[in-house]
Order: sequence, then structure tokens, then C-alpha cells
Amino acid sequence: MELHVERDVVFPAGPDEVWEALTEPGRLEEWFATEVELDAVPGGEGVFRWGDGEERRAIVREADEAERLVLDWEDGGETAIELEPVEEGTRVRVVESTPEFATALALRALAWTAVA
Amino acid sequence: MFAALGDAGRRSLVEAVAARGSATATELAAELPVTRQAVAKQLGALADAGLLHARRAGRETRYEVTPEPLGDAVAWMVSVGAAWDERLAALERSLARRRGV
Repeated sequence: MELHVERDVVFPAGPDEVWEALTEPGRLEEWFATEVELDAVPGGEGVFRWGDGEERRAIVREADEAERLVLDWEDGGETAIELEPVEEGTRVRVVESTPEFATALALRALAWTAVA
Repeated sequence: MFAALGDAGRRSLVEAVAARGSATATELAAELPVTRQAVAKQLGALADAGLLHARRAGRETRYEVTPEPLGDAVAWMVSVGAAWDERLAALERSLARRRGV
């Protein structure tokens, strides 16, 4: 059991345009982080820095051009971004998960089923 | 998952303890269709997980709810969710700039 956050949006742009914005460091610096290094191929490394001094590192787990990008963060978290062409442009689905609270949540769910 | 946690129709030990402020295994077993031993075991596991705080009270252990673990989980969802809302808005602007919109 993992804790996750999900967002689902549609942008008026083609999957190729969105993919470029998701994978080219210069483009990522326009919306994701202040300073970005990313080799968007499976096994490639990513370093993301923000203005407040925060730095996060990731390894690219999956990179299917214009379809799906999955990053494994060094803290055990994961970000998966899926692109789907739709009439209005591209549907972008983001799922970010963390294993951090898994134990407490699993036990709480267990307590629920055991007593119900 | 959070929908399931919020299901008001179901009872849980955590809820039962929270409703009382504090409770012992004996008190809870009197209300629930389970044995005192089963309740005591669950309470122990919940305390190990940090969801309940245990303190000795005479011959029994009294439990109180510690909201921090779930509170932290909710805080994580709120802050990560807000970060993505901001990023996706910035991404939309970035895409629009490229298109000259």
C-alpha cells in the first residue's frame, strides 16, 4: 500500500510537444525546477534543483516517447506521467507516490477489516 | 484508500479509542464482537505503528490516539498535490508560449 497523489489535466498541445516539455532540461526549467539535468532514457539520471536550495535526484525507470515517463526518486518515491492524445490535445496524468507512510496506513486498514 | 478510511459506517479500534479519548482493551471488547485478547493484540500493533499511544494504568494498558502519522500522510498529500497544481499550471503556460498563444 502506497500513498499517492494524482492529477489529470488536458493541455491544448500534441503529445510530442508535451513530451518535449517533460524531458528537455531547458523546458523543465520553465515549469518543474530552477535547474535541471536529465537524461530521459531508461537508466538515465536526473538532478533537479530549486531556488530554495532543495535538490532531488532520480533515475529514469521508463521513457516511452510521447507516452509514458517514470522517475524513481532517491528517497524511494516515484513519479509516473502518462500522455494520451485526445480531441482537445493531450491528456496528462501524473501520479506521485511515496512509500513513507505505507506501514501506518496498512496497519490502519488492517485494523479496519479485522474489526468490521 | 482514503475513501475507505473515511467510511463512517464502519467501526475501527482507532475510531473507538478516539471517540472515548482513551480506552483499554477490556472497555473496547465489551462493545465489539471480538475477544479482549484480539482487541489487545490489535491495540498493541496500532501502538507499534505509532497510531496509538500506550500507557500503563494499574493492571491494564490505556490507549490514546496519536493523530501524527495520518496527519503527516494528509500533509504530504496536500503539499505534493499543491506542488503539482502549480507545476501543471506553469507547464500549461510554457506550452502556450511555444504555440504563441
